[in-house]
Amino acid sequence: MTETELIKKAQEGDRKALTELVKRYEQTIYNFSFKVCRDREKAEHTMQETFMSMVKSIKQFSGRSKFSTWLYTIVSNHCLMMARAQKNKYHASLDDENSLIDESHIADWKVTPEKVTENNELKKILDEAIEKLPYDYRIVFILRDVEGLSTAETGKIVGLSVPAVKSRLHRARAFLRNELDKKLRNE
Amino acid sequence: MSKKKISCKEVMDYICDHAGESFDSPKCREIKEHLNECENCKHFFESVDKTISFYKIYNVQIPDEAHKRLLSYLGLNDE
Ligand SMILES: [Zn+2]
Repeated sequence: MTETELIKKAQEGDRKALTELVKRYEQTIYNFSFKVCRDREKAEHTMQETFMSMVKSIKQFSGRSKFSTWLYTIVSNHCLMMARAQKNKYHASLDDENSLIDESHIADWKVTPEKVTENNELKKILDEAIEKLPYDYRIVFILRDVEGLSTAETGKIVGLSVPAVKSRLHRARAFLRNELDKKLRNE
Repeated sequence: MSKKKISCKEVMDYICDHAGESFDSPKCREIKEHLNECENCKHFFESVDKTISFYKIYNVQIPDEAHKRLLSYLGLNDE
């Protein structure tokens, strides 16, 4: 069955179609939630709330955007809600662009990205770096660079203009690169 | 014409969208030229690319238990 047919059935109250939609997207949503909050328990909770919202409001899905874009919008909002609930956590300030890039001595990293699948210490470095990034930057970075959505789609999901998305993306990239550089430049 | 018209800082501060819409602007052409001869900026962009790849490759699988808890939370069942 095509996705459009499934959505139509689910909107008419077909539980089987609804279940099938959940199964098609649960891995994507779980992985995305994890990438944003870096915690399995929170990722599961966010995923549950996301699909609960989907079930409750699927009738309002108009088909004007892609279904995946619609789901990314819901999950991003739940991630932000989760973030607000734990706002005492320290995040870096990315307002001062000048502090982000130090153009002198740029080191060459020896470690290759494939290493991340087998190297737990590297995973920890990646978790710690992104945990310092404010959530609104994190979400833009993950949608655009990690999940590979277009800049326009990302803007629609987070409610920002294309230039605003690009500016956040640039800062997020530079910030993460710098954080990783502290640990990886001598590897 | 001086060899380094554009500074490293300027190069690193500027995004030529990978999606392509501004790839052929004069500024981006200048940046590409700079990148051809500047090791420092090359390393910078390589490390930015690596940063993105790290987070792309670092994925988690939904545990079977979490799948079951999700369906039961939603009041759905899977057969
Ligand atoms: Zn340079």
